[in-house]
Amino acid sequence: MTLNLQNLLDFQNIIDALQWGSFYALIALGYSMVYSILMLFNFAHGDIFMVGAYIGFGIASLLVGLTVAGSLALPGWVILILTLLGAMCLTSIVGMAVERIGYRPLRDAPRASAAITGLMIGIILEQGNLILLGAKRRSFPEIIESQTFSIGGVDITNIKIMIVGVSLAFMLALHLFIKKNKWGMAMRAMAFDYLVVPLMGVSINAIARMTFAIGSALAAVAGIFFGMAYPVLEPTMGIVYGWKAFVAAILGGRGSIMGACFAGFLIGFIEIFVPLVFPSTLRDLIAYSIILLILVYRPHGFFGEPYSAKLRL
Amino acid sequence: MTPDNPTSEKHYLRLRHNVQHRLSLVPILGWLLGALLAVILEQLAGDYLVDALDMDKMPSLLGILAIAKDIKYFLWQGWDQLVIIGKMFAGGAFSGVVSVPDPFQTPRVLLYVFLVYFLPIALFGTLTIRPANWMADKLSKLPSAVSVIGYLILLYLVMHIWADMSAYRGMALRFTLIAVMLTLSLNVINGYMGEFSCSHPGFMALGAYGASVVTVVLFANDKLFGAALLPKFLAPAFFPLALVVGGAVASFGALLIAVPSFRTRGDYLAIISLAFLFIVKSLIENLEIVGGPRGLKGQPDLASLPVVFTWAVLCIWTINNFVRSTLGKALNAVRDDEVAANAMTVNTRRTKMTAFLFGAFWAGVAGGLFAHVLRYVNPATFGLQKLAEVLAMVYFGGLNSVYGSIVGAVSISLLSEALRPFELFKWVIIPLLLILVMIYRPTGLIAFREFDVRSVLKPKQNPESEV
Amino acid sequence: MALLEVHHMSHDFGGLRAVNNYSLNIEPGEIHGLIGPNGAGKTTIFNLITGIYRPTEGDIRLDNASIVGLQPYQIAARGLGRTFQNLQLWRHMTVLEHVMMARYSKLTYGLVGAFFGTPKRKREESESREKAQVLMELFGVDRFANQIVLNLPYGAQRRVEMARAMAMEPKILFLDEPTAGMNPEELIQMMEIIRRAHRKFGVGIFLIEHRMRFVMELCQEIQTLVFGEVIAEGTPEEIQNNPKVIEAYLGSEMVE
Repeated sequence: MTLNLQNLLDFQNIIDALQWGSFYALIALGYSMVYSILMLFNFAHGDIFMVGAYIGFGIASLLVGLTVAGSLALPGWVILILTLLGAMCLTSIVGMAVERIGYRPLRDAPRASAAITGLMIGIILEQGNLILLGAKRRSFPEIIESQTFSIGGVDITNIKIMIVGVSLAFMLALHLFIKKNKWGMAMRAMAFDYLVVPLMGVSINAIARMTFAIGSALAAVAGIFFGMAYPVLEPTMGIVYGWKAFVAAILGGRGSIMGACFAGFLIGFIEIFVPLVFPSTLRDLIAYSIILLILVYRPHGFFGEPYSAKLRL
Repeated sequence: MTPDNPTSEKHYLRLRHNVQHRLSLVPILGWLLGALLAVILEQLAGDYLVDALDMDKMPSLLGILAIAKDIKYFLWQGWDQLVIIGKMFAGGAFSGVVSVPDPFQTPRVLLYVFLVYFLPIALFGTLTIRPANWMADKLSKLPSAVSVIGYLILLYLVMHIWADMSAYRGMALRFTLIAVMLTLSLNVINGYMGEFSCSHPGFMALGAYGASVVTVVLFANDKLFGAALLPKFLAPAFFPLALVVGGAVASFGALLIAVPSFRTRGDYLAIISLAFLFIVKSLIENLEIVGGPRGLKGQPDLASLPVVFTWAVLCIWTINNFVRSTLGKALNAVRDDEVAANAMTVNTRRTKMTAFLFGAFWAGVAGGLFAHVLRYVNPATFGLQKLAEVLAMVYFGGLNSVYGSIVGAVSISLLSEALRPFELFKWVIIPLLLILVMIYRPTGLIAFREFDVRSVLKPKQNPESEV
Repeated sequence: MALLEVHHMSHDFGGLRAVNNYSLNIEPGEIHGLIGPNGAGKTTIFNLITGIYRPTEGDIRLDNASIVGLQPYQIAARGLGRTFQNLQLWRHMTVLEHVMMARYSKLTYGLVGAFFGTPKRKREESESREKAQVLMELFGVDRFANQIVLNLPYGAQRRVEMARAMAMEPKILFLDEPTAGMNPEELIQMMEIIRRAHRKFGVGIFLIEHRMRFVMELCQEIQTLVFGEVIAEGTPEEIQNNPKVIEAYLGSEMVE
């Protein structure tokens, strides 16, 4: 192992870290939003990300296939937009279904029970995928032709730039939605005080449903981008990447949108830069140790409020 | 009561009532002796019965596997029929014929289970109500340690004879006992203490590796650790030590989590312990000295059924003792209202630490036993899948309940064996079941029940009274 | 020598002075009252003395030993029992378990006893059970002994809290609005129970209360707290006739 300092400063790696950070941040947002309104973690969210990626894969494969066969003549960016929109819609339906089946009946149950339900729904989604599509890895079709730019001796692909840019745009849109829109404000109110929302004439169920829908749509975006950047999908991806995003949500501060984005990018950087210095088998070990240390010194994460409720039993 | 035939209905109700009444009079002793009779019967006559019924082999776990296979056959065939009918609508010709699996095991298996288990146990139990109660009464007058040990020996005999009939049974039984230990120890943390710990597979891994390293270094010729240091015949004597080392390693790991976690309440422990689980797994994968990702093998064959049984009993006994003492109930007080507990002289921090380390210790011992039953450990075993499994057992059985943990561990273990023919569907069915349990009984099937050995074992009928 | 002494205690919450220069003397067996409008800082004083908060300034001495900086459970074990304003019971535990739990610090069997059920544990637990039985009878909750405390009527829950606090064998008992949410009948019952505990165990009592009649009838000494400061101190008669108190209470509790 030779430590190459040049590597650390390489712009290529920074772009990679930003790209991975975008995935984690987009997924972490879903965890964080659900946490802020329902005070519980949606443990099925990682697998919703996986479902989103597969739905995107299905739509993209169909459209690309039709284009190649000549039945359709769509340019790449149109396919991308259609894939994104389609996957976002379908995945948010999955998210709402998860909320309806797994969380609403348990609204007043101990929170640990709801966590278990979420965990179990995640397992069902993963196994369901294995049953339907098999353990075979799928490679994501090439929607947009990859072009490499060279800026100052650094090679950057258009896909990476697009992923980082669009992800940031989505995060900004979410931020604006929550700050400015009536529904977003209702969400914030609910995060602030659970009981006040019905008084405002907004139903808790509607807000919970909407939160799951938005979180799932963002997870679908992350799934598609993940597929485009790293063109292999497998059923276990929900667990592998979802849990890291979950950790990002914690690290950012439970319920904090800003925190989730920030910590998502931080984990992206840790993931890319740790293997440059240490052997890559140590990546998880070091990444989780760093996270553990941060949490020991900042128990509420970067932007979290001190929080002391306990599991209702 | 149906108007057209009131008398038969009445007869039926009275019969049912009588049966229920008689069954309720059978003491545990009666059931245990009945079970002993059944397994002896199976040992003596099981093979003949298998031949007479023209079965493949002796049903392993009450025949659940064979029945599951048949169910799967029908389900899959039903699916095929649907496809065929669908094709018919689409203009295809009807070609499907409903068939029966060959050999069709279910009726024979059911008959076998009825003859070998159900009938002897039920008959023996109901026919010996008086003598069994008389004996139970005599036993209950002995010092409780003596009578409990007597019952345990009886229970062990039943298990031993039963498990002796096939290697598969022995394995399944030992894994179930280990699952009971794991579930119970996690229940101390997640149920009695009311925190949410995710690191149990990590503690199990620490225990498994801790104990394995001791036994492999001392008693195995291993290419990683060199020749055996001590002669083999000493191994059984050192095995408890190895397990305690495993448990201590796990407890030490727990201490590392507990120190930062118990300063803050809430979901904090859940997250720290999850990170800890990943760290332990990743650490073992990177430790070449214990085999890295390939795992560690060569554990001597030490975890026989009596050993596992003894440790499981020890585990249940100490945990049950603990949670029934005021020191242990302090956990519930801390869980339900920490401020009040503190104001009532309860040292809350020490209480939580103790319980967490204690739970981790038993998880470590269970891990050590697990490694020696399998005689191989691999870091991949101790991941999220294992976590989901243990959590499922705890929450299915019921929080804050020793009964619940035993029931949860045994039923999920059995279910998971029974569902093996369904392959991938196994991990759809078990989660679905658990979701249903969570929705209808959010704290599990048998939650918040105290386990009082004396009242379980006591006679169900006054020996002087009329039967 | 007073049983409990508080010397010039002050407490700041992030720059806001919640309690200012508060002093208190309670002799053994004395019943002492603390009244004042909502938000005056009464419960804060309780929490400061019982160790939930640590005072910014001042000293607290119980039995002539400073208890500042000790953990609540340590202070409690030295003989300071308390009840809470909003019942703080353990929702999954029975009445008997509640009362026995408060004897936690009296148990000496340790972890070995807890894990292996030694004879010592058996002896101590059964002794603890007997004492709990006596207390439950005294406070009239013995017929609920094996019931989950949440299933009890409100008044009985209050009495369980009292029995629990007394099980610690305190030298001084802190009662935070013992009659909150009670109807007149339960109120009279509560007063009787406090008197009984006082007579039987000779315990000192420090209580926060809103209902004037209750305080006036029970207490020997009363302090009036407004905005974290004691504005009047004295016997019930003195307090009742103190113009500052009347002003602070005008139109509110005094009418009752």
